[in-house]
Amino acid sequence: ALELAEEMVEELWDAGLPGDLPELEPECRSLLAAFAEGSAALTGCLGRRARPVRLCQGCHGHYRRLLAEYGSIARAFGNSSESHNCAKSILTSDRLQIVVTLSEFFNETWEAANCANCLKNNSEGLSNSTEEFLDLFNKSLTCFEHNLQGQATDLSPNNYTEVCKNCNETYTKLNDLYNHLQRMNRQGGEAAHSAHLCIDVEDAMNITRKLWSRTFNCSLPCSDTVPVIAVSSFILFLPIVFYLSSFLHSKQKKRILILPKRIQSNASLVNIQEKYS
Amino acid sequence: MANVAKKVSWSGRDRDDDEDGRVGETTPLLNGTGPGAAGSGRQLTPSSFLRIGQLSNVDLNEDIHELETELPRQHPNEIPHNEKLLSLKYESLDYDNSENQLFLEEERRINHAAFRTVEIKRWVICAMIGILTGLVACFIDIVVENLAGLKYRVVKDNIDKFTAKGGLSFSLLLWATLNASVVMVGSVIVAFIEPVAAGSGIPQIKCYLNGVKIPHVVRLKTLVIKVCGVILSVVGGLAVGKEGPMIHSGSVIAAGISQGRSTSLKRDFKIFEYFRRDTEKRDFVSAGAAAGVSAAFGAPVGGVLFSLEEGASFWNQFLTWRIFFASMISTFTLNSVLSVYHGNAWDLSSPGLINFGRFDSEKMGYTIQEIPIFIFMGVVGGILGALFNALNYWLTMFRIRYIHRPCLQVVEAMLVAAVTATVGFVMIYCSRDCQPIQGSSVAYPLQLFCADGEYNSMATAFFNTPEKSVVNLFHDPPGSYNPMTLGMFTLMYFFLACWTYGLTVSAGVFIPSLLIGAAWGRLFGISLSYLTKGSIWADPGKYALMGAAAQLGGIVRMTLSLTVIMMEATGNVTYGFPIMLVLMTAKIVGDYFVEGLYDMHIQLQSVPFLHWEAPVTSHSLTAREVMSTPVTCLRRIERVGTVVDILSDTSSNHNGFPVVESNPDTTQVAGLRGLILRSQLIVLLKHKVFVERANLNVVQRRLKLKDFRDAYPRFPPIQSIHVSQDERDCMIDLSEFMNPSPYTVPQEASLPRVFKLFRALGLRHLVVVDNRNEVVGMVTRKDLARYRLGKEGLEELSLAQT
Repeated sequence: ALELAEEMVEELWDAGLPGDLPELEPECRSLLAAFAEGSAALTGCLGRRARPVRLCQGCHGHYRRLLAEYGSIARAFGNSSESHNCAKSILTSDRLQIVVTLSEFFNETWEAANCANCLKNNSEGLSNSTEEFLDLFNKSLTCFEHNLQGQATDLSPNNYTEVCKNCNETYTKLNDLYNHLQRMNRQGGEAAHSAHLCIDVEDAMNITRKLWSRTFNCSLPCSDTVPVIAVSSFILFLPIVFYLSSFLHSKQKKRILILPKRIQSNASLVNIQEKYS
Repeated sequence: MANVAKKVSWSGRDRDDDEDGRVGETTPLLNGTGPGAAGSGRQLTPSSFLRIGQLSNVDLNEDIHELETELPRQHPNEIPHNEKLLSLKYESLDYDNSENQLFLEEERRINHAAFRTVEIKRWVICAMIGILTGLVACFIDIVVENLAGLKYRVVKDNIDKFTAKGGLSFSLLLWATLNASVVMVGSVIVAFIEPVAAGSGIPQIKCYLNGVKIPHVVRLKTLVIKVCGVILSVVGGLAVGKEGPMIHSGSVIAAGISQGRSTSLKRDFKIFEYFRRDTEKRDFVSAGAAAGVSAAFGAPVGGVLFSLEEGASFWNQFLTWRIFFASMISTFTLNSVLSVYHGNAWDLSSPGLINFGRFDSEKMGYTIQEIPIFIFMGVVGGILGALFNALNYWLTMFRIRYIHRPCLQVVEAMLVAAVTATVGFVMIYCSRDCQPIQGSSVAYPLQLFCADGEYNSMATAFFNTPEKSVVNLFHDPPGSYNPMTLGMFTLMYFFLACWTYGLTVSAGVFIPSLLIGAAWGRLFGISLSYLTKGSIWADPGKYALMGAAAQLGGIVRMTLSLTVIMMEATGNVTYGFPIMLVLMTAKIVGDYFVEGLYDMHIQLQSVPFLHWEAPVTSHSLTAREVMSTPVTCLRRIERVGTVVDILSDTSSNHNGFPVVESNPDTTQVAGLRGLILRSQLIVLLKHKVFVERANLNVVQRRLKLKDFRDAYPRFPPIQSIHVSQDERDCMIDLSEFMNPSPYTVPQEASLPRVFKLFRALGLRHLVVVDNRNEVVGMVTRKDLARYRLGKEGLEELSLAQT
């Protein structure tokens, strides 16, 4: 196949079409190769860190590099001369435009994951609050592990009281921090910007919460059914009292009939009554 | 009277008594009102004085004892309120232009260019109506959003706090108290300051456009109370919407602007004086109603069709175009202001107070096989709507009879608010339907007993403003609600909404209806895909929309305008066909049981409302039987004292007087010469336009049409006009001021004929003459509105003082 392509190039050379070569300029080819490698690396990274989600922590470097590579391809569009026009030949010369599609895909994924939210402004490394959160998260995980090991022998489902007791502090801290982050995010971001935190943080919190309240069954809200029933039945009872009392005590509104001024002939009246009765 | 005689037949006896009563008015009507006076709380037919084809089946034995105690009363013509009455409180509007000499003079004086300015002014007014209506809608929306947000945050924080520690009954109390106190304020202002602002206002505007003058309905005070009342009742968490009242608000704005002054504020801006007439005002009010609809639903065409359907008697091309202009301006204003408020200016993505969201994804499309399903949903909607109306009917009747004191009304509203909160709380408390918070856009996620990171799905429906709940039901992805939640929600909300409508708060029924319908529609969609086990009809949001349309159609029974409103609110023209089918079915099915909610309330208010046509079986009734007689006539040159006496007579509160030839020779026939209105007479008396004064060469300004307009619309009562004893002997010449060509009908004209003339021309008085042009009787709105097609044929309503 390679030879075939070489032959085609040869033929085109012979036909004297120097401006429209299927062959890329060497610089462009290297740019393209770099982009291909970068995207392969990013894809690998994303795939490997899909579960549990660690996208933003692990892949931001790859993503940044890829952005730069795409940028250098696209930048060539503006200022370079005809011969060095890599952007045109790489990005826009065919229907498929695979480079554009790839880069769009990565951008969209990044946006959807909302990674910008837990990175520093210049995208180098995680922001302080995220670091703090992940610290706490790891701490609570260790706490869980630590306390579970003691009871590893008999894991009956009801026997998590130890975990609940010991890790409650860490968990509450983590939960509060998360809520705090969420609130900050909601205030800072505009309405158009989604109110989500970045996917790593969200997922971490999700896992912990599930462990905490589903697996360990730690968050048992006190259900005070009796007072609620008492209060609600009291309130629901009030309208009945109200309607009954207004029915019994309120004076019924009476209307005074007015005599209409009509023709006073019985003939027409009889006529009507015959017709309708 | 012996008991035996009474036991024969109520209706037979009534008829005898009625005839007695009719022969001489002095005969006391002993038994005529027996059934009515005796029953307390029972639904009894009144004994009207001319009951046609209507037989009442009353339990005899029960009534006899009570009846005997009633018998000695000499004036027993008091009956409990019922739906077969016409109130004397309501009068007609004067749509008919009085073409008297002053009018002709003015028209001659104004040149062609001036008429063109009038035309331009009309457009300016319409633009202002649109802008102001849009701004009022924005104001309501923003205030409601903030206040409701504040309330829900407070309650949510409280619930979150007590979920952990215990003591949720305090949260319940907090929620109920907050609701009740907010609603109390809203109800107090309505009940004590302006009772006409209660309800959605659509029945009132319908009546106004029909030609009935409802006192206070288009005043500035009403607007202020209405706007505040709506905000408070929505924030108070009642099962109400803020869309219906927008129509009323738009109408008030229109009436206010077009008059160029406010009598409430006692300010006259001296502009738009030309429009100070009922005819012109009605046109602008219909534009205002359209602007209101358009701001409420983002449906400008729907608004235009609404006012044409409800109001304008003539399909006037220019008027329609102007109304459309006002509607467009209104929705555009709302859109641009709200988009600036939401921070994305120029986006223009919120055209109405309620936005159904976008229905354009592929899975939202429908196939031809689904159309029978939609029609079935229409049937369900019709039945549920009829049930809603029937329940509301009984409730309203009870309210009119027993809960008529303002304090009781306020207490009732507060109780409803507290119960609404309680029901919501209990439902949320009992629900075990938890959904993950991630990926959902719930405004106030309540965790309660759900696991961390999940929210209670019942709370999205109850713990939210109704508008948001509707949109959630339309657009939340499949699986967001479990069927049990939806079923319970529908049931509870149905009764809450039914109970709420008719309270003394200003609030609309559109959104609650949509919400009920959306809930059962979504339930229907879920069970459908469950039954077919397939994914062909996957998306329940579509069924939620159809259910909402069906429910709304079943309750309000609007047709054309509602279809277009729904279509525009969804922003999807392809849904037009199924929505139309659904609404048609709902209306047909619902009409089989009871009439629409608005018509029902109009009837319960005893408003003399004229429908499009006379009752179908009424051709054998002639004008002679319909008219009121004898008529109080005035002579062309009349003594002032007579005029004053006639006007002061409280027993005959007439508004129009036929003017007959003042012939001293009584043997000769006094033919009809014209018609003069009470308001005109009052202006004449006020300015003392007497023949003698003119003869005395008193320097007197000639009365112009402007003098009549300045007094409009609140003419002073006759008591406030002082006429001295000397002046009583003066004469007054009416020929210049009367309408010289009033509409007349002969005695033999049939009721439908009279009705058509009256309804189409928007008349207020129709004189019945004999073949010598002598006044025989007068047909007014109440004479025509009396006849109605009931369950057992033609019925006649009786007049009553309310």
